[in-house]
Amino acid sequence: MTATDGQRSRRAVLAEAGTALDRAPDAAGAELEGARDRLALPRPVVLRLPGSPAERAAGQVRREVVAGGWRFEVTVEDAARAALRERAGRVEGDVAGPTRLVVRAQIPGRVVSVGVRDGQSVEAGQRLLSVEAMKMENEIRAQRAGRVERVTVKPGQRVERGDELAVLA
Amino acid sequence: MSPQARSASPAWPFSRVLIANRGEIAVRLVRACRELGLESVAVYSDADAGAPHVRAADQAIRLGPTPPTESYLRADRIVAAALATGAQAVHPGYGFLAEQAAFAEACLAAGLVFVGPGPATLAGLGDKLAARRAARDAGVPVVPGTLEPARFDRAAARAHMAAVADDVGWPLLVKAAAGGGGRGMRRVDHRAELQAALASAAHEAEAAFGDGSLYLERFVQDGRHIEVQLLGDAHGTVVALGERDCSAQRRHQKLLEEAPAPGLSPAERKHLGELAVRVARAVGLQGAATCEFLRGPDGAVWFLEVNVRLQVEHGVTELVTGLDLVHEQFRIAAGEPLSRRVLAAAARAASPERHAIEMRISAEDPAADFSPQPGRVTHWREPAGPGVRVDGWVGEGTVVSEAYDPLLAKILVVAEDRPAALARAARALDETEIGGLQTTLPFHRWLVREPAFRAGGISTEFVAHAWDGAVQRETATTVALLAALAADGTLLGANGSPEAAPAADLPVTTEWAAAGRREALEAWPR
Repeated sequence: MTATDGQRSRRAVLAEAGTALDRAPDAAGAELEGARDRLALPRPVVLRLPGSPAERAAGQVRREVVAGGWRFEVTVEDAARAALRERAGRVEGDVAGPTRLVVRAQIPGRVVSVGVRDGQSVEAGQRLLSVEAMKMENEIRAQRAGRVERVTVKPGQRVERGDELAVLA
Repeated sequence: MSPQARSASPAWPFSRVLIANRGEIAVRLVRACRELGLESVAVYSDADAGAPHVRAADQAIRLGPTPPTESYLRADRIVAAALATGAQAVHPGYGFLAEQAAFAEACLAAGLVFVGPGPATLAGLGDKLAARRAARDAGVPVVPGTLEPARFDRAAARAHMAAVADDVGWPLLVKAAAGGGGRGMRRVDHRAELQAALASAAHEAEAAFGDGSLYLERFVQDGRHIEVQLLGDAHGTVVALGERDCSAQRRHQKLLEEAPAPGLSPAERKHLGELAVRVARAVGLQGAATCEFLRGPDGAVWFLEVNVRLQVEHGVTELVTGLDLVHEQFRIAAGEPLSRRVLAAAARAASPERHAIEMRISAEDPAADFSPQPGRVTHWREPAGPGVRVDGWVGEGTVVSEAYDPLLAKILVVAEDRPAALARAARALDETEIGGLQTTLPFHRWLVREPAFRAGGISTEFVAHAWDGAVQRETATTVALLAALAADGTLLGANGSPEAAPAADLPVTTEWAAAGRREALEAWPR
């Protein structure tokens, strides 16, 4: 199980800073007692947050935790799934030739939508297409500016890990 | 109608009171009415339909849409509401119209009793410079500075201010004559910055108060904000009921108040009380008021201003003196002389035998510069037990609108001395649970444990220097994440799928948390 503090849209940053915790629930309970004692914090209040249908479908549970008066919005999910999904959203490409970049699927899924046309110029960070994987929509973004040489896939199409999605020139 | 709906005294000129306010103070005033056998009439805006103060009162009447300018600041509608409901008196609470001379005048013109000072007193003290002059004339030291308003758009006034600035001394404060709440106020450290500060302060004051007049005041380094509670009756008697220390502030907003002020000798307390009474007599105070002073590190005290109303923090004085200041306000408004009980409390005020602390729990994020956090309260648990009082208006499901003050509740504690009161404050804060929006609760948990604050005598700059909300929040992160994991361990089904967890009940209280709370209850000091 893993818990991530997602308040203030700093989720990724916080995860990098080590605020994503990966523990078995029993171990977390024991560790919590120690940490609470050390920090002289009262018992945290754990409340359930609604969460979007997509989050629920993806096996995520959202919690509001109030610890020492501080309010956190925490996402709890299976650690293995979290790792997989994070990989799905991460854009990795391989350089084919001196300037071309092949964007590949990181996990199996289904193409939901394509946001660019062949020949279109894109900025770094611009959405190329979305792939549904782990019941979540993952945006695949251009990791550098350039021109879309081709989009290899169509909406609705299934892709396997390693399949070519698009090529940037 | 309350079962004991009989006026405390048949001789009183009112038996039904309109409460011209909302939130915690309106609830507190309705409670006082019930205790005195007075009927209460609440007023509300659209956002407050069905709010606790509306439900608490005997009857309620709508003022208008949510913005205060269309509801709680509409003197005409409030007076009309009082007349329509047959109320004979109006209590303004604090804020909104409480210190508007025109509102007091409108009430009197309509034949209503205004629970507060007369319009002339309000008009005289609403002008901060007039108050400064009155204090000086009464022989009370005022913070060195100018005593006449100056218009920045007049070249002669600008030149005069620059000329006297050196006499006032550096650093100094540029203040708005019509000011309040820190608006139109600038700190100036060097002569070169003065003209720019005057220009921006005048602009801000003009926008906020419709009056860009300014004055200069010396900035007292490491000063403490200490204020004296006053009561004056219609027969010329004025008493001081002890002081409060309100130095725990952020951007001129008070966060915590306590009485008595730590570290003052009985002689100093007596002296402060005498100065405050002198100012109150000079302005013919009738009702409740607070005289604010600045106390320098050397012990020198300077008059700041008089607030002619019930203060947010009046409760700490009530807990120390044993009086009910709202009851006394009604008695004064009914024309009764100050009671023997009040006079006795005043005589004891310089040697208080109890210590009280108030913590303002507001919907503000103390990790984001105390920015307002409107929203819906999804979980609410107040502290209780010996020596704890909560003046609030919020419960589970309450929607906190961005249109009004973010104050949710005041947690007050009283004990035999300051260390005991601090321990009680820490205990009460740890019992408090609020979900749905970020509040100032973690700030107060930090403050009551902070060594410099515990030592007593912090200055008004202390919080800005010592509080780092982001760092404090970070320390709680691991505990929050672990708690989420531990809670979900009990909710997950055998197959590890969260879908198996109960989905509908909000909030989820886990068995783990419930067991923990039972343990914590048993561990609390008796």
